[in-house]
Amino acid sequence: MNLTDTNPKRYQKTALLLIIALSILALCCLLWIWQGTNDNSGKLTADIYQNGRLIQSISLDSVEEPYTFTVTGDNDCRNEIEVRPGSIGIISADCPDKLCVHQGFIDTSLLPITCLPNHLVIQIRTEDITPDIITY
Amino acid sequence: MSIRKLTTLAMFTTLALIIFTIENAIPPLVPIPGAKLGLANIITLVILQSFPPKDAFFVLLTRILLSTLLFGQAMSLLYSLAGGICCFIAMYLVNRLLQRHFLYLTSIIGALFHNLGQLLVAYLLTSVPGVLAYLPFLLLSGILTGLFTGLCAQFTLKYLLPLTARLQSSPKEGDDN
Repeated sequence: MNLTDTNPKRYQKTALLLIIALSILALCCLLWIWQGTNDNSGKLTADIYQNGRLIQSISLDSVEEPYTFTVTGDNDCRNEIEVRPGSIGIISADCPDKLCVHQGFIDTSLLPITCLPNHLVIQIRTEDITPDIITY
Repeated sequence: MSIRKLTTLAMFTTLALIIFTIENAIPPLVPIPGAKLGLANIITLVILQSFPPKDAFFVLLTRILLSTLLFGQAMSLLYSLAGGICCFIAMYLVNRLLQRHFLYLTSIIGALFHNLGQLLVAYLLTSVPGVLAYLPFLLLSGILTGLFTGLCAQFTLKYLLPLTARLQSSPKEGDDN
């Protein structure tokens, strides 16, 4: 610890600034998450992306019976996806950590399900209910 | 680099690998990819604090390469490297700015940049903007885990540093390189 500049004031000031900045950052994150949990109205559509390409789009509101299908990607990696009315999830995968399976079923646009090893992302999109024609 | 120092650094690398292995065996606490404690960073912090930054960087690189060889696939190397290097640069700068005080702040910044680096790679690899929805979660978890590992490192230093000092205080230690 032979630093030449040993003025204690300076690093204490830096530390204080850092703490303030981090607190603000944490607060912003909380607000961001909180705001995200609040918008789950509207029509739910699940978009399945692989390697950044949209490979399938499922309207979750029109699902009546749960069904499963398998998505195969590069290197023969496989993800088995189950679609239920209003939610979607990965039920089995051959990736090493199975984080995508642990994420369970999602029904909001808050967090997409991601299987990083297999480059698979399932994202729910909420379409605002702004109908073209309103009938009474 | 003297043999003594090489051995000490190798021992630290081994420690980091052991910690990494144990952490790998713990099931993920939250189902968010990238949100983990990052306990191996304790070792990086300890070395950063008591050795020249170059050594800390080499230990980090060795640990990442070895852990990928042992557990990961080629894909996880990219994530680990991006996260590790981002984290190291940020920690080095902050540690210098804080003149080696407030180690937990250094650790928090490191964890944040680790997560940012990984998220960036995830975004580049999947190129789905939705991946960025993880950002607030990863930043929050970075602050918490960074604080935890930083405090761990601080306690480690308090009790381990006397030991390493004894290991280092050989008559022929000299300067590095």
